[in-house]
Amino acid sequence: MSLLNSFTRIRLIAGTTFLEAVRQKFFNSLLIISIALVASSTFFQQFDFGTGELKFITDFGFGALFFFGSILSITATTQLFFNEIENRTALTMLAKPVYKLEFLAGKFLGAHLLMLSFSLVITLVLSGILYWREAALLARLGEDVLLDGPLVRYGDVFVFGFLQWIKFGILAAITLFVASFSNTNLYTIIVSFFVLIICQLQYIARDAYSGMEAGLERFLVMGLGLIFPNFQLFNIGDQLVFDVEQALPLTTVLRLAVYGLIYTCAFILLAQVNFRRREI
Amino acid sequence: MSVLQHPLIVRLSRVLTILLILLLLGLLTRPIEAPAWKVVKAGQPEMNLEAIEGALGQGLVVGVLGGFRAILADFLWIRTNTIWERRDRVKLDAMVRLVTTLDPRPDFFWINGSRMIAYDVPNWRIREEGGYDAVPKVRQQAIDYDQAQQAFDLLDEALEFYPDKAKLYLEKGQIYLNRLKDDARAAEWFLAASQQADAPYYAARIYAELLRKQGLDTEAYSYLKDLHRELPNVPYAQKGIILERIRELENALKIPFWQRFQPAVEPMLEEPRGAPAFDAPEPHDHAGHAH
Repeated sequence: MSLLNSFTRIRLIAGTTFLEAVRQKFFNSLLIISIALVASSTFFQQFDFGTGELKFITDFGFGALFFFGSILSITATTQLFFNEIENRTALTMLAKPVYKLEFLAGKFLGAHLLMLSFSLVITLVLSGILYWREAALLARLGEDVLLDGPLVRYGDVFVFGFLQWIKFGILAAITLFVASFSNTNLYTIIVSFFVLIICQLQYIARDAYSGMEAGLERFLVMGLGLIFPNFQLFNIGDQLVFDVEQALPLTTVLRLAVYGLIYTCAFILLAQVNFRRREI
Repeated sequence: MSVLQHPLIVRLSRVLTILLILLLLGLLTRPIEAPAWKVVKAGQPEMNLEAIEGALGQGLVVGVLGGFRAILADFLWIRTNTIWERRDRVKLDAMVRLVTTLDPRPDFFWINGSRMIAYDVPNWRIREEGGYDAVPKVRQQAIDYDQAQQAFDLLDEALEFYPDKAKLYLEKGQIYLNRLKDDARAAEWFLAASQQADAPYYAARIYAELLRKQGLDTEAYSYLKDLHRELPNVPYAQKGIILERIRELENALKIPFWQRFQPAVEPMLEEPRGAPAFDAPEPHDHAGHAH
């Protein structure tokens, strides 16, 4: 019964957090900019050298999802966490029988729901534009083109959106972890962005360590590769949508989802360890 | 208060505990991550430390992180052209490397980058040293070889991505032929190009011509006869030209009439659908570069 009550409390906090986040001007502005950018990909295509039109639009859309999604994930999570602390509403909430873990989990889920809406909207807009351009392309080529199947695999666009959402989950959990010991908004945002860069590029260090001789340096680089999650794993845009021969196996997608889930839970629990000791 | 209870020690121990937990987590997730990473990495372009430094130096954090790599590479290519117009060879080399690292997929970057390095930069360097009349021929050749080698290195990198792309083999052949005037090496690359699935028909014809240029008429004759037999009777295959050259070689080699090549009579076929624009000029040729 208490577990059910706990879930209810988490759901309520998540729902309120989500509504609060959706009403934020920052979210709406970023969403509009992202949609406008994805929609304008056909304009930017004139600057392209050698990539196919549909491939370019896909790359552009995936880029927008990654870039604006990462910004939103970090800033929204930070704002939603610190709003409660700065407005003292966290005090009221935690004075009631709400555990700090439930508070953190609710905040995380609210932010993660926001990212789900963002990822879904961008993915839908991208799919719409791809569909429009694909239709135009087929109309232009007419019967001269022999097709083995559709030009675009729309399911893959959503697979990419889903995996980015999983990655945003890790990023939001990392942001919560940083926020749990930080005193200011700005510090949390900056540190989280640095962590994002490290997570995105740590694979290069790992590749380098495999070529190193045994020693302290190798040990340190190996440690770095283990401490930070590998975000490059989610950078799978090149293997999706068009390349049928190299299509990403379902087991890999599932592995990535599980990997993301484990790290998300781990960072929320670590945030809880810090937040438990924190005086609000 | 014992030393272990000192706030600094307590804080340090907390940090170390968290790092240890994350380290263990990294080890625990390895069985999930490693197979997934193997699959994902196989489909990703390589990004080395040098390229990242270059990209970060240009303020291209987003490109390095994975977003908008294609469009950033496109804009950088436009900038590369501005640098090319300014004849800044040091920056040009760095920019070509950066563009091809950011987005190695379009062959346009590799081919045009190598053309700039192999054909244009030697001219600039010779002019910097006083011009074609003042610089000794030996020095001019050394510059040509130096620049050609840099272009070959770039094309070799491209071949790692596209080992079957005839255009890249052709490009190496063209540099040997047009810049280094090395017919023997050029012939090797034209032959390699002609053996790729997407090879244009002219690659094999040029190879035969290069054999003739080297005085290897017998080899050229034998090769052209085989080529004529193997090629489909489509307009782009230009079998008429091949036959003309076979006849020229038969005259040069004084082949007796009864031993001369007899082409099979076959109807002219239509160009297969979806066939590459064989022998048609490339749509993306960089202005100012001779083929």
